[in-house]
Amino acid sequence: MDTNNYSIETENLSLWYGDFQALIDVSVNIPTGKITSLIGPSGCGKTTLLRCFNRVNERYGNVTTEGEIKILGKNIYDPDVSLLELRKTVGMVFQRPNPLPISVYENILFGLRIHSPFRSLNRTQADEIVEEALTAVFLWDDLKDKLKMRATSLQLEQQQKLCIARLLPLKPQVILMDEPCSALDAKGTLAVEELMSVLAGSYTFLIVTHNMAQAKRVSDECIYMFLGELIEHRETQALFETPEHPKTADYVQMRYG
Amino acid sequence: MNANIMNRSELIYHTIAIVTLAIFIILLWNFTSDVSYVEDQTSSDVMTEETVSTIYGLLYRMIPSFCGVILFSIAISFYLEEWLHQTSWQYQIIERYIAILARVPSLVVGILAVYFILFHFQNITYYSLLLTVVLLVMPFTIRSTQKAIQTVDMSVREAAYALGATRWRVVTSHVFPHTFPKILAVIGTAISRILAVAALLVAGVWIYVSNSFNIPKSVILMITGAVIVSVLSSLLDWKK
Repeated sequence: MDTNNYSIETENLSLWYGDFQALIDVSVNIPTGKITSLIGPSGCGKTTLLRCFNRVNERYGNVTTEGEIKILGKNIYDPDVSLLELRKTVGMVFQRPNPLPISVYENILFGLRIHSPFRSLNRTQADEIVEEALTAVFLWDDLKDKLKMRATSLQLEQQQKLCIARLLPLKPQVILMDEPCSALDAKGTLAVEELMSVLAGSYTFLIVTHNMAQAKRVSDECIYMFLGELIEHRETQALFETPEHPKTADYVQMRYG
Repeated sequence: MNANIMNRSELIYHTIAIVTLAIFIILLWNFTSDVSYVEDQTSSDVMTEETVSTIYGLLYRMIPSFCGVILFSIAISFYLEEWLHQTSWQYQIIERYIAILARVPSLVVGILAVYFILFHFQNITYYSLLLTVVLLVMPFTIRSTQKAIQTVDMSVREAAYALGATRWRVVTSHVFPHTFPKILAVIGTAISRILAVAALLVAGVWIYVSNSFNIPKSVILMITGAVIVSVLSSLLDWKK
């Protein structure tokens, strides 16, 4: 674990999609073991910033990045960094639940199978891992008889929980979430939020959200971004009650956005 | 910077299209203005009744080549869709050129092939047939397989990549299984295109050699086969 207790540190991070600059000199420190939320109007670079941390941005050609991103003290753009290891350490949950179109059981094991030698998992181990992961996200009781079911036919809430569950066997340090509840109804949102607060101690969460009430409810720290710039980063309560920057005040007091 | 790349690829693409058109126009000009040459050749006995039997032999020899061409085309489409960046100029050029070729109706390729084999070269060889197969099958197969690959939900790829899967892993464990039924349908359609053109060729040679329209049964069989295969492949495509 990093000595200064930050899981993610960026310094003067700038990013361009072709000619368009999506991130401008972002320097931020995300504390370990807490939930940090990223808020801001649409198109302000929240998702882009999030996607930098496990380098999924790179898949879309013409992306240029400058600056430094350190995860657990290690610069992720160093040539000796393996993408596989990085993505093992930094898990990601997407906006729309995206379980793989295979069984629930195989969904949980997919990540693990990638990262372990061929056929090194035996049946009992695999069963235990699946049970453990599903129990951690409170799905075991619902799904223990449906492990062979296609994951895409579950309810949305269950799908999103499954997407979180499939990260757990990889033992990630950081979990990135891109508007994890936007496709869910109130009950599903509540369930996912509860799950996050239970897991928070053991993982560092970074969530992008459009829902300010959600940011207030779940996060310990809050980051406000506007047009690619980081405007304010403080404890959630402080940011919402006594925003320092006028732009933040406009946004959190709903005068804008 | 990106705009420049687009312009360059646009330029190359238009050049290719214009050069292709020019070649076709020159070829056509050449053939239409040289009718006497063609008529002289018709009196020679290069094409005899033996030709009909050699055609069958050649058509059987085409089967493995056909399989090779199909596999190669499928590999190319996976390379285009999963490995190349879609904004890269290589992708743009290959994709557009294939799009042009894929729009040429199979009948046009078939008639051109028959014309060249019967009236121009007066000879039927393995390579002329191979060229026909390549022109007839490759652009179509690549294009349709690309379309099938594009139907795979982007979120599935993202999920797998974010878990650390390599490109190869994503393709073999998700994209390929998902597109497999559609690829089978594409192969079926390719087979029926080939059968139809083969029927056209055999019929053409038969009429040319025997001077009668009493077409052999095998032609009818090939046409029926083409219809059956295309119906079966459309059934495969129906499900998804």
